[in-house]
Amino acid sequence: MILYTPLSESDIFPTAENLYTNRQCITYEGKTVFVEKNSSGEYQLVQLLSTDPQDYLNNMYTPGTILPNNNR
Amino acid sequence: MTNKDAEKKDGQEEQEEQSGPSSLVQKIQALGQTNVPQAPDSNVHVLSIIGQVEGHIQLPPQNKTTKYEHLLPQLIAIEQNPKIEGVIILLNTVGGDVEAGLALSEMIASLSKPTVSIVLGGGHSIGVPIAVSTDYSFIVPTATMTIHPVRLTGLVIGVPQTFEYLDKMQERVINFVVNHSNIKEEKFKDLMFAKGNLTRDIGTNVIGTDAVEYGLIDEVGGVKEAMIKINEYIAQAKGNGEQEVIQ
Repeated sequence: MILYTPLSESDIFPTAENLYTNRQCITYEGKTVFVEKNSSGEYQLVQLLSTDPQDYLNNMYTPGTILPNNNR
Repeated sequence: MTNKDAEKKDGQEEQEEQSGPSSLVQKIQALGQTNVPQAPDSNVHVLSIIGQVEGHIQLPPQNKTTKYEHLLPQLIAIEQNPKIEGVIILLNTVGGDVEAGLALSEMIASLSKPTVSIVLGGGHSIGVPIAVSTDYSFIVPTATMTIHPVRLTGLVIGVPQTFEYLDKMQERVINFVVNHSNIKEEKFKDLMFAKGNLTRDIGTNVIGTDAVEYGLIDEVGGVKEAMIKINEYIAQAKGNGEQEVIQ
């Protein structure tokens, strides 16, 4: 299929709803982080939102970390 | 499937490392204490504006975006925290929502603490006012900034008022850039409405050294120059005139 249109891709193929709901912005151990729910129901850290450069050196906030259940 | 399983395993291992008493015991065994000394708190904080500047409309998750509603409280926190003495803004953005970008620019411009920006890769469209909103701006030699007229997406009502609205919005962007940088209004408008520079579009793609030449950005430089500059500003703010030690 070839499309020739001024519309953006997302206007023609709407994004699946679960892509929005799977990703959440939460506060984890006092830091705002983006987490994504993976297929096994665990929350995986996607992005850390912090202005403190030292936070990025902390292993706890490495992207891809699976958050422990009790802290969610 | 195998990939996912492997990832899951890795994740579980990480989880075990982080939580539970075993890590505490390990720390005591290895270091004789539970608290590992941390690096001293940084007095310079970093705000990165990456991907699209996301405003009123939420973009699909595959887009890399910077949400302005997350940055505004962080800027207030920076202003209030007495331990933070300066902010460095890292910019690599393709532009985005005009009002979100202007909100960020005004917030950065009205901070009482010294601010320095570095344009890396690209600081296009609404990235331009954000880049110039700081006390001093740097651009790496390879970075580019696209200056072009404001555009509308979505439903546009075809009445003359729409054009006036668009024109006023553009005027706000131009005024902000002219007031916060050394570029002349005529020059900025010339760049914005230039023909033949961009394929199928009006505007100009300004490269690092040219941006400095036009007075848009203060200096060509990267992290080192930015750190020297911010420490200069911090020293000035303290009133002792001495150079702080870079952590």
